[in-house]
Amino acid sequence: MYFFAFILKNLLRRPIRTALTVLGLAVAVGSMVALLGVADNVQRSVESAFDTRRVDLIVMQKNKPLGLDSDFGEFFTDEARKLPEVERLSEGVVSNATAKHNEGVMFLVQGWKPDNFGFEDMEVLNGRLLKAGDTYKVMIGKTLASNLNRKVGDTITFTADPDHPYEVIAVFKSRVVFEDGGAIVSFPDGQALTGKKVTGFSIRVKREGGDGAAQIDAVKAKIAALRDPKDKSVQLDAQSPETYVESVSQLKLIKAVSWIVSVIAFVIGVITMVNTMAMSVMERTHEIGILRAVGWPRRRVMSMILGEAVLLALAAALVGAVVAAGGLYALTRSPKVNGFIEPGLSPWVVALGTAITVLIGVAGGAYPAYRAARLLPTEALRHD
Amino acid sequence: MTDGPADHLLFADNVVKTYPDGAVHALNGVTLGVRPAQYVAITGPSGCGKSTLLNMLGVLDRPDGGEVYFRGAPLSQRRDLDHFRAREIGFVFQSFYLIPTLTARENVQVPMFEGPKRTPRARAQKADELLELVGMAKRANHRPTKLSVGERQRVALARALANDPQLLLADEPTGNLDSENANKVLDLFTQLQKDRNLALVVVTHSDEVAQRANRVVKMRDGKIVSDSAAARGAQQ
Ligand SMILES: Nc1ncnc2c1ncn2[C@@H]1O[C@H](COP(=O)(O)OP(=O)(O)OP(=O)(O)O)[C@@H](O)[C@H]1O
Ligand SMILES: [Mg+2]
Repeated sequence: MYFFAFILKNLLRRPIRTALTVLGLAVAVGSMVALLGVADNVQRSVESAFDTRRVDLIVMQKNKPLGLDSDFGEFFTDEARKLPEVERLSEGVVSNATAKHNEGVMFLVQGWKPDNFGFEDMEVLNGRLLKAGDTYKVMIGKTLASNLNRKVGDTITFTADPDHPYEVIAVFKSRVVFEDGGAIVSFPDGQALTGKKVTGFSIRVKREGGDGAAQIDAVKAKIAALRDPKDKSVQLDAQSPETYVESVSQLKLIKAVSWIVSVIAFVIGVITMVNTMAMSVMERTHEIGILRAVGWPRRRVMSMILGEAVLLALAAALVGAVVAAGGLYALTRSPKVNGFIEPGLSPWVVALGTAITVLIGVAGGAYPAYRAARLLPTEALRHD
Repeated sequence: MTDGPADHLLFADNVVKTYPDGAVHALNGVTLGVRPAQYVAITGPSGCGKSTLLNMLGVLDRPDGGEVYFRGAPLSQRRDLDHFRAREIGFVFQSFYLIPTLTARENVQVPMFEGPKRTPRARAQKADELLELVGMAKRANHRPTKLSVGERQRVALARALANDPQLLLADEPTGNLDSENANKVLDLFTQLQKDRNLALVVVTHSDEVAQRANRVVKMRDGKIVSDSAAARGAQQ
């Protein structure tokens, strides 16, 4: 017999208790993993999109933590275009929007010029791309199409401009999940709908054979120094896509919530584990006494109890990952949130969840294991 | 023949034990030597300290005074008493204490985790040999609940022999058994003493058990009041 087999049999002795403990831990860990997964998915999809679009810098108004609040004059884009290091620049306006026929669905509307980087890796499922001169035309992501129940040829009337119905000219699929849940109009239409001049722009620098790091730094500094003669208070901030994604406050919020939930899940998990293992140790007082009597050192008794706790935790991590994947899938079917999240768990998130669960096992098993190891064989065997 | 610790397998020298909550001395200066392959029965009224003495001999607990020697070496000096118990001593208790989730074969292997290094396969093989020895080979795959009380005690005996100890300590091993099953266990004791040169110390209330032993030690109030070896000891 292997020591491991012994540990496993101890857990299977009380199948219902073991199952309930695993389930309880799995729900706690599962919700934690699901939330960490949401944050991670958004971050990775945005990062990978900027990567394929070969965007080096994202420029927004400085000190506008909600990217959507950023708004500045075309002076900046004109000046930035003139910088010798800039190969290409594309600007946009962004805002939250709703459609008149279904105000329950909130989505992002963006105004893009035809040369926007975003058009390059976009997959048009149906219809055509926006071209110069299009007015009152809208392209919608596939998730928004299903949430608003609109297809090519239908119209959408934005709550912000009730007098002008927009014709749907395309349904597209993007690599960025919230673009799938959003709408794209021409830049001038976007300015009208959002009431903004420019929300932000992306820059691709000239590589000049190198990795472009020097050019990126130069552009960053030059953009930070730009001042609009019409409003000297406005400053811009150019960030790498990675830093930009990190700083998006919605993502920060999701991350904060997921870490709070993780802490709560951890505490609940540890309490559950302590309870289960302490009960199990108490029931086995005699048995542990005999193990000590036949020569098991405290160390081995401790490993046995900790081993049981960690095994329980690993089972919970497995079930929890399934719970999380299922939960995420269920979320992506809800129109309220599916414009912002996508299903699937990265191995990294599953590994993190498993590590935390194992930690729960060790933390929750430690005290019962210590108690078990402290049992004196004579005391344990005395009460017949 | 001399009579010091060095001449015995196990030697308790003036052992004293007081429990914290009892003002009484559970053991009040007990000196007892056990020679290799000797079969000693310890008897006496309830509460006289028999189990306490057995616990001291098996280093399940430490004495408050005096010393216990194993092969002439004082055990109070040893720090690895778990290791010592695992390899040198086999225990049998009145209520078997088998592990309910494990089969007979697995129960016998429990002490082997602390014994000489063996592969899992070798452990199982060794367990089968021991079960054969106690006549339980056919029930190796049964869990304790599927065994009669007599069978359980024989499995517990096989477990006590797992690491081939030279000394077996038993506290009321037949206390829960009917006379037929008790006899089977006692026959095994006698056989083990002969075949394996095993020393046995058996605490018992039963005269029948005591009669089987080479030597009977009687206790009262934490002291030894008579010892059949003492009478013959002079001539030995
Ligand atoms: N852990 C303990 N704490 C306090 N007192 C104890 C403890 N163990 C034993 N005693 C006391 O020590 C004395 C000797 O007990 P012991 O168990 O050795 O007797 P015994 O001869 O084995 O009795 P029995 O035949 O009933 O098993 C008794 O008075 C008992 O109450
Ligand atoms: Mg007793």
